[in-house]
This record gives sequence, structure tokens and C-alpha cells, in this order.
Amino acid sequence: MKRGGHILPRGLVPVVFFGALLLYAAWPWLPFGRTAATPSIVFYGFSILGDVMNKGVFPAFRQRWAAEGHGDVAFRSSFAGSGTITNQIVLGAPAELALLSLESDADRLAAAGVIPADSWKRLPEGGVVNRTPFVIFVRTGNPLGIADFADLTRDGVRVVHPDPLTSGGANWAIVAEYGAGYREAGGDASAGEALLAGVWNNVAAQAASARAARTQFENGFGDALITYEQEAVYDKGRGRLKADVVIPRRTILSEHTLVVIDRNIPKKDRALVERFTQFLWTEEAQRIFVKYGFRSVRDDLNAGHPEFGTIEDPFRIADFGGWRRAKKEIVEDVWKRRVMKIPAKK
Amino acid sequence: MSSRADANAVQRAGRRAAVPASLVVLFLLPLILMPLAAVFLFAFRGGPIAFWNALKTPEAQFALRFSLLVAFATALVNSVLGTFTAYVLSRYRFRGQRILGIIVNLPVAIPTVVVGTSLLLLWGPIGLLGRSLPPGLQPMFAPAGVLLAHLFVTFPYMLGAVKPVLDELEETYEEAAYTIGATTWQTFRFVILPTLKGGLFAGALLTFAHSLGEFGATVMVSGNLRLKTQTAPLYIFAQFEAGNIEAANAVAAVLALLSFFIFFVLLRYTGRESD
Amino acid sequence: MSITLENVTKRYGSGQVVVDRVSLEVQTGELFVLLGASGSGKSTILRMVAGLAAPDEGLIRFADRDVTRVPPQKRDVGLVFQNYSIFRHMTVGENIEFGLRIRGAPGAEREHRREELLELVGLGGLAARYDSQLSGGQRQRVALARALAYKPGVLLLDEPFGALDVKIRSQLRQNLKEIQKSLGVTTVLVTHDQEEAFELGQRIGVMERGRLLEVNTPEKLYAAPRSLFVATFLGGGTILVGRCRDHKVALGNLSLPIPADVPHDEGDRVRVLIRPEQVRLTAEPPGQGAVLGQGEVIEQNFSGATRRTRVRLPPLPGVRQVVPSLPFGEENPVLEAVVPAHDPPTPPVPWVTLEAWHILRQPTPRLLVCDEGEGIAPALELAKPLVDALDAIPTVLGVSPDARRQDALREALAERATAAGLEQPAIRVRRGDLAEQIALEEREAPYDFVIVGAGDSDPRPALRRTNLSDELLPRITTPLLLVRGRPRRLERILICTAVGEPGKADIRAGGWLARRLNATVTLLHVTIPGRTMPALVHAHLTRGVATLRELEVKGKASLREAATPLEGILAELRSEPYDLVVTGAPPPFARVPIRGFSVTQSIVSQAGCSILVVPTGTW
Repeated sequence: MKRGGHILPRGLVPVVFFGALLLYAAWPWLPFGRTAATPSIVFYGFSILGDVMNKGVFPAFRQRWAAEGHGDVAFRSSFAGSGTITNQIVLGAPAELALLSLESDADRLAAAGVIPADSWKRLPEGGVVNRTPFVIFVRTGNPLGIADFADLTRDGVRVVHPDPLTSGGANWAIVAEYGAGYREAGGDASAGEALLAGVWNNVAAQAASARAARTQFENGFGDALITYEQEAVYDKGRGRLKADVVIPRRTILSEHTLVVIDRNIPKKDRALVERFTQFLWTEEAQRIFVKYGFRSVRDDLNAGHPEFGTIEDPFRIADFGGWRRAKKEIVEDVWKRRVMKIPAKK
Repeated sequence: MSSRADANAVQRAGRRAAVPASLVVLFLLPLILMPLAAVFLFAFRGGPIAFWNALKTPEAQFALRFSLLVAFATALVNSVLGTFTAYVLSRYRFRGQRILGIIVNLPVAIPTVVVGTSLLLLWGPIGLLGRSLPPGLQPMFAPAGVLLAHLFVTFPYMLGAVKPVLDELEETYEEAAYTIGATTWQTFRFVILPTLKGGLFAGALLTFAHSLGEFGATVMVSGNLRLKTQTAPLYIFAQFEAGNIEAANAVAAVLALLSFFIFFVLLRYTGRESD
Repeated sequence: MSITLENVTKRYGSGQVVVDRVSLEVQTGELFVLLGASGSGKSTILRMVAGLAAPDEGLIRFADRDVTRVPPQKRDVGLVFQNYSIFRHMTVGENIEFGLRIRGAPGAEREHRREELLELVGLGGLAARYDSQLSGGQRQRVALARALAYKPGVLLLDEPFGALDVKIRSQLRQNLKEIQKSLGVTTVLVTHDQEEAFELGQRIGVMERGRLLEVNTPEKLYAAPRSLFVATFLGGGTILVGRCRDHKVALGNLSLPIPADVPHDEGDRVRVLIRPEQVRLTAEPPGQGAVLGQGEVIEQNFSGATRRTRVRLPPLPGVRQVVPSLPFGEENPVLEAVVPAHDPPTPPVPWVTLEAWHILRQPTPRLLVCDEGEGIAPALELAKPLVDALDAIPTVLGVSPDARRQDALREALAERATAAGLEQPAIRVRRGDLAEQIALEEREAPYDFVIVGAGDSDPRPALRRTNLSDELLPRITTPLLLVRGRPRRLERILICTAVGEPGKADIRAGGWLARRLNATVTLLHVTIPGRTMPALVHAHLTRGVATLRELEVKGKASLREAATPLEGILAELRSEPYDLVVTGAPPPFARVPIRGFSVTQSIVSQAGCSILVVPTGTW
């Protein structure tokens, strides 16, 4: 039967077009020009890690791995809010390593049975790969004259803030805001709460991740953004910063925790993942972090970098009893229960 | 004389249409036309070299290829399933047929995010069925999951394009072929399929186009893994969110161009069919 | 190739019978026409022959080959549908070649055959056209050519002219007839058009409600139909009913001999069919022949070659007209006549002579006997004397609540029917609710009486008479005989009647039964003091008695005063030993809430004997 069968239209254009499209799409998987499968690492990271990992750490490790005579290694990575990737991993996303912005997220993974409890504490530095303090971005020229967190509580200041539900950075920011007030008043909890409440009274937009909040701010939303110093340092280094950075007198140094999800690592790749994990704390990797604006866990590597601002009174999560306590006492009790109950404006 | 009067009437009608027509253009401008133009303006703002460089990255290439492959696969699978379903619904009378007819069209009404969630709850590693699958076969956060989501979301398009044609086809059409001696397969192949080709083509194109742009369900089930499960729309979103507007726009422009082309083929072809 | 159908039955999913035990043989090379109204089952038969529908019972054979379960592809039939179903995406030529392509015939052969067929159906040069470019007549011919292309053994045509203009029909009929003759292919054509059937059919089978009523040549079907339906469906004319006297039927002064092959009893009502062209109208009394009397022309219509005339006759005592039906109260028969247009004008008061006539066969009463398959069998036991007395055909129906026990029930029914003395009755087994299935069966096939036996003692609530009748009465359209106890004979019949009841169905049905059973009848009317007008009652009873007398039934009228009709009837039942009470019931569509109906139900529940409920308008 010659006739009667043709499903495609008479016109040749769509046939050629879709044929070409299919050829293009399937090209890498076609038998010719195909390379042997390379071992891979599935790496999930919180939002601001995108560039440092893709452009800095991964290529460096690939070189190192090849230099050690192992051949190539492929990285499959996904970057999103720390809470988002934690949820995905709980639901079964195949992450082998996850660099979380918040230790609480690691606790959540442990609670869901994905990893053994406190397993990250056995890693170097208790799992902390790098740090960065929380700072304030303001519009160029600082038209509102913002100098510290306290200025964000003023009437009419519109603050862009990541969402604490999905963003690790947002949780850090909350502790930063609370802690600044608390320490300013010499350890007064009510002063901490007052500052936190004041800032949140002015939150005009929330984004799913610190990176997304940054994009929102850059697209013109709000007068101030509370985010990682790394963003400022990295972008300033590239000449891309379109904002002024205000370094608060008192702020927190966020610490980013690596977790190894053993159950997702195939046996054959175990050594590779192990090697990469160690690599993150080598001087080479730590220097890359510094280059991309993070503060290294080794203070000697941070010295001699004027782009890192001076903080009068830096503090850490340990000062509030670690994340387990801070999460409960500051984020849950103070921020969620008390602050968020306050109406936006009378 | 009367023909001149007619011509005048036509002219008058034409003049009167100018006001409402320009009104439509006026509100379409900010609603549809200008945003589309903005995509292209932004994509080429850095010049063709920057555009090309943005497209050239392995992530962008992968995302485009992956999206296209999934779209091809979705169109293919749903062409078969949709045509078969349409045939069964149109040709057989059975208990529960009405309900089945409603169910197969349900995906148009369900928010795509809900589709993603429901797929996760079923096939995810902690889902009802996914739980009992070995890790290597679990479809979620893998290309198979993306395909599943796209099949779900686009299922009604094929059906909607093919079933009306089948419904219009008298039953005797097939019966004539049977008595002439054609087997069920021959009847389908030589008698039914050729009459369906217009509907099949339109349905496949619609499915393809929709799959190419699917976001809501994909973002839930793909895991958004670069170079593994990141489709073009996910890539655009991720790049945009990360502030790489050029990278996002380049791929967005390519997607938009593809969609335009598919749409025009659809218009041209189905237009010719109805002549 | 000959086609044989043996007892073919087809039911719809709902259980409704579309084709009812049809047996038929179509000779090799014959052009056979199945004629019937829409819904008569003729198309279903065609579909079963083609293999597009499977019979539920029975056999279909092509020559000696049993094709009952053979799929359509393997039957080697050509089928032309009413809508033709030309494949739209193929040209005329491709349509015609389709069957040959499927069979893998080489290109040259296909081309040759295609040209041959296009020539045969007169469509030479149109091979490249598409369906949308063809006229209705051309389409039909393409469909015909397509069906003939692979030289099928059987050609089936389903209303092939139905979609065409009247003008081109006769031309195409002639073409079809010639093609069929020249190819000698066994052909079955289905139509609802009598003219078409006459013109085309070598033999015609007439279908009604799923039954094949009669099969014969067009001439014989027209001149000597066996049934009333065929007589009226094929051609016009008048049907008069006279009474049988000494093997002759009396029409006024005229006595027409009843042929020996028409079974008849003395006093039977005999139907005489008079075709319009068999009536002669003359100005002078003819010296001889079957003179019906002097009539009066009431209508004349010129229709080209003929004049159609209606003549009113003086009343003929004891003669009733069935067709065409007369307005109520009209006693004078009206005869249809047709005379050649060139004849001298018909006198206004002509003498009417019958040149020929035809006496129809007596209809055979059909009884539906419902039986449970166990316990006592009052319905079966009463069926035997009824079958004998009425010369009726019994059908035994059993209803099984579930599918698994159907075969067992069928066997039990056959056994019990034989035990009751019925010789090989048709057995029907249905599944579902008892009352519902009885009502369905009754609606699907024409029965004259439905006999249900159910004693009050039955422990199963659904079978208790009151319940069953409550459910059956609103549904049923046939006289329903509820058998109580185990009556051997029905000798004394009480017919309860009331003023104002539309028609006299209960009196006619009860009287007819009484005459056949040789029973005595009491016609009872209950008057309610102060509510019924004596004059009306008198007139009503007089008419009732006259009806009974016409039926030659021994009987008397009885008047009773009571507070309610029910009380009067029960009092009458107490006063004399009756075997059967006959009572009317509103037609099913009037349903239960009507007052008269609850009286019927009360009689059913309180009378001590069997009851015949006759729905209004059935007799």
C-alpha cells in the first residue's frame, strides 16, 4: 500500500525541520562520537555556591584527579535554597554530597534517616567548609544612609529578605539581626527581639533562596538586602556589583556544612567522593573559596584580603548554643511565634 | 446599484472595525507582544557573539537537547496512547465510559505543580510505588520522571485532536473495510489512520510544544540536576534566579523561536486541512 | 452461494430481542429482499450475515459452510451501506481496488478489474475522483463496485437507495437489477420501501418486530398474504371481518368459501382482504359475480393512470371493518377501489362487485407462561387446557436471579412443561428481577395472554401474588392471567365492568376467552347509590351484552348496589362460585395512582379465584 499511509503533511519543511531537531537533540547520545562513561559526583549545594563550585572547585578537582592518574570526573550539580535541596534529598534526590548553608538542614537529613546523626561532625572542622558574614546591600550611594541593622527598622525602608522556610541564608540573617541587638544591649534578649521585629516590620519581599533574593534586589525591589558578604566580595571582584555594601558593627559569620549521603554513593565511586570531600579542606580549595569571596576556615588564608570588611563584633552560631538551640529559641520562638505575629503596620 | 450599496456597507463596516481592532492591539501590546519582544531584545543585547557563547555552554546545550528529546518522546508515546484511548472511547460503549472520558481530560484542569507532587508521592523514593523499586529504577529525579510528568500533563492534547475526528467517522466506515476483507490492523492502518492524519499531526505538534515549555510538574520531579535532568525551562529559571540573565535569555529566545515555528506549522497545516 | 439462517436470534445488551428465531434460505444467485419498517430487525439480520454482529442463538450457513462464528473478513461478502462509507482519503479507483490490494492482487490485475467495474457501474473515467466530488448516485455505484471488486460470493445491500433522490432511484434500481443478474451473485437487499421490494425482489421476506413473518414471491405476497400485517404492509385495500358459517364467510348477502388450507371453526371471525383493483364498480347491477351491494362514492382521486375511489357500503350485519380503520361509531364499511383512468366515469351510486378476494389465516394466539421451575406449577397446569382450547402457541418463561443457574432452570422448565402436557414449547430463560423480566419479555414479543401462577402461600415475598401483580400491573400491556390455586378449568367467568371505562377491552377479551372455553359469563356492574346514572348504566350494559352476544357467549348481566365497586364485586364473588374474574386496568402509562387501578389491585388481593387483568386498549 503506497498511498493512504503518509501521516506527515505534504510540505517538506516540517519534516526536514523536525528531523534536524531530532538529530541535534540526540547527537551526544548517538553511537559515533560517544566517549566512555566517566565516573561522576552528584553535588547539591545551597544557592550562592553555584559559581564557586562550577567555575572554581570542580575544575580544580578534575585537574587534580586527572593529575593523580585517575582520568576524568563529571560533576552533576544542582543549586537552590538550602531548605529546598534538603527537602529534595529527603524526597530522594540522588545527591551524594550536599553543602548546606545551615547545620539545621543537616539535622533534618539525619532526622529523616538519610544520613547518620552528627556524621558531618567527623569531617574536618566539624563539617564546616567555609564561612561568610552577613551584610547589608543598599542602593548605590546609600541614599537612605543605612549604617547598621538598626537603620533597617526605620519607617519607609523596604527590606528584601530570603524566606526562612526554604533558605538557609534567611535563618542566618535572622540570627544576625537578633544577635546584633542582643549583643549591643550587652546580652539583652528583649533588645534582640526588638531589632529583629523592627527589621521584619520592613520586609517588602521574600525570595526562596539568598541568590533569588539577590536577583530580586538587583531587579530593583527594595532599598536594602540582607545577604552573604561573599556575594558582595565576589561581584566586586568581577566589577559587577551594582550596590553598596554596609558592614554592620555586629553580625554573624555563617558556617556552611558538608554532608556525605552514603546511601546515594555507588560503591565504585566511593573513593572518588572521599577524595573530593578531603579536597574541599585542602589549601588549594580553600584558596578558591577565598577567591570567590568566602572566608576560609583557615584564618591565615583570610589575611591579606582587604576586600573582606572588618567587623567590630563578629559572632558565631556557637555563641547562641549552636544551631539546634538557636533554631528553637531564636527562629522558632522569637521569629516565628512572636515576630511574625506582629501585624506589618498599624 | 445594489452592489454599490453593498460595497458601501462593507466599507462602513470596515471603518467601524478600526476602533475596536486597534483597541485589541492596544491591550495585546503590553499583555503579549511587548514581553515577547523583550525576550529577543535582551537575548541579543550583548550582540550575537555573547548570545552564541551563552548558548554554547554545556549546561545550555544539554538543557535544550534534553527538552527536545523529552518532547519528541512525549509526542511519540502520547500519539500512540492518545490515539488508542480516543479510539476506545469513541468506538466502544462500556460501563464507566463517561467517567473515563472525564478522567483522561483531567490533566488540563489540574495545576501542573499538583501533577508533580502526585507523581512524587507515587513514584518518589518514599512514594507508594517508588518505595518498592530498586534505586536504579526509580523514575523520580531522573529523565524517566520528567517523561512521566510530561506524558501526564500533555495527555489530553492528543485526545482532543484525534477524538473529534473519530467521533465524526461513522462506524460503518470500519465495517466496510472489515467486510472487504481488511483485518483490524489493516483497517486501522489504511482506513482509520489516514483520516486521522490531520488530527494526529496537530495533536503531536501541540504535545511537543507543550512538553517543550512544561515547567510546573518538571520542577517538582526532575531534581533540577544540571546535565542530567535539567530541561530548558528549568535552566532558564535557574539561570535567571542566579542572576545570569543573558544565559537565561539566550535559551528562552531559542525556545520562543521553536514555539513560533511549531505554531506556524500548525496554523498553516490545519488551515490547509480545513480548506 | 446459498445463504441459510436457522433459528437466528439476536438480543441487545438490555435483553431486548431484535431478531427473533428467524429461519430463511436464500438461493444461489437469487436477489432476495428483506422488507420491514425501521426497527424490525432487517438490518440486524444483514449485519449478522455479513459477520458484523454475532447471533445469540442459531446458525448461519453459506452453502454448506457454517459461518456463524466466522469474522467478516473471512466471509467473502460484499456489503453496501446506506451511507456508502466511501473511504474519503482514497480516490474512486483506490476504493474499488482496496479489496484486491488487501488480497495482494498484482497491480495489473487490479487495474484491469477496476476498469471493468467502473464500466459495469457506469462510472468510466471517474477513477481519480474523491468522495467529496461525487453525487449521491455516483457514490452508491462506487460502493457497489467496491463491494463487487473481489468477486464475493454474497452481496448485501443495506437500504442502498435510502439516501438518494426519488428521481434517480428507479434508474439505479434497474441498473442494480441488471448487474445482479449479469453477475449472478447471491444478493440480499434490505429496504423499508414496498415499491422497491416489489421491483427488485425475486422473493421478499417481510419482517415485523424481529420476526420474519412471511417469505414469498412479490406476486404471492401481494395476492395471498397470510397475516394481517403483510396484507396491510404490502399494498392497499380493505379488510373486512365476517363470521364463519358452514365453511363460508358471510359478508352481508355474500358468502365467500373459506379455502381448506385456512383452518377455521364455525362461528370464527374470518378476515377477508380485498385489494383495490379487485373491486368493480358498475352503474347497473351485474347479473352474476360476488355482488356486495350498492354503495356511494365518497371520494375520488385522480393519480395519472388510475383513479382511486372510496365507496361507502350500506351496513353489513355481523361485519366489522379492520382496515382502513373507520371513525368511531361508523357502521358502514368503506371499500377502497382503483379503476383505470380511461374507464368511463364511475357512477355516483355504483354497484360493488368483488372480482377476487383473499381470506387471511386465523392468527394463532400466543401465551406467555411464567414458571418458577420448582414447587407447584399452576400456570403450566392451566396453560395446557388453554392451549388446547385456544389452539395457542405457548412459550414458557423462567426468570433466574443469577447467571449461573440459567441452564439448570432451562432444563427444569422443559421437564415441567412436558409433565404438564405441553408439547415442546419454546423455552425462554431471562436473568434479573421477576416482574421486570416478565414485562420486558412481554414487550419484546407479541403475546396475547401472560399467565402467571403464584399462590398466596408462597413464602417468597416477590412471588406472592399481591406483590408480583403490584409490580407487573403498572408495566404490562397484555392481558395478565394471575392463576390462583390449581384450577383445572375455567367454566364460570365474572366480567366486572364500569360505566365510562374507555373501550370494552375487558368484555372482549373475557368474552373471547369464554367462547373458546365454552364458559358462561356474568357481566357485573356495580352501581353506587346516588352516584351512577341509571340510564348510562343501562346503555353500558346493553352494549356489553350485545358484544357478548356477537361473540356467541352464553351469559347474563348482573347489577349490584354497593358502597364501592370493590364491595359489590366481592359480594358477587361470594354469591356464586366463579373460576375467573375479568377486570380492566388502565394502560401502563397511566400508572398506579389512578383510582380505578387501586380497585383492580384490591380485587387481585382479595378475590378468591384466578384473575384476568385486561389493560385498556389491548383488545
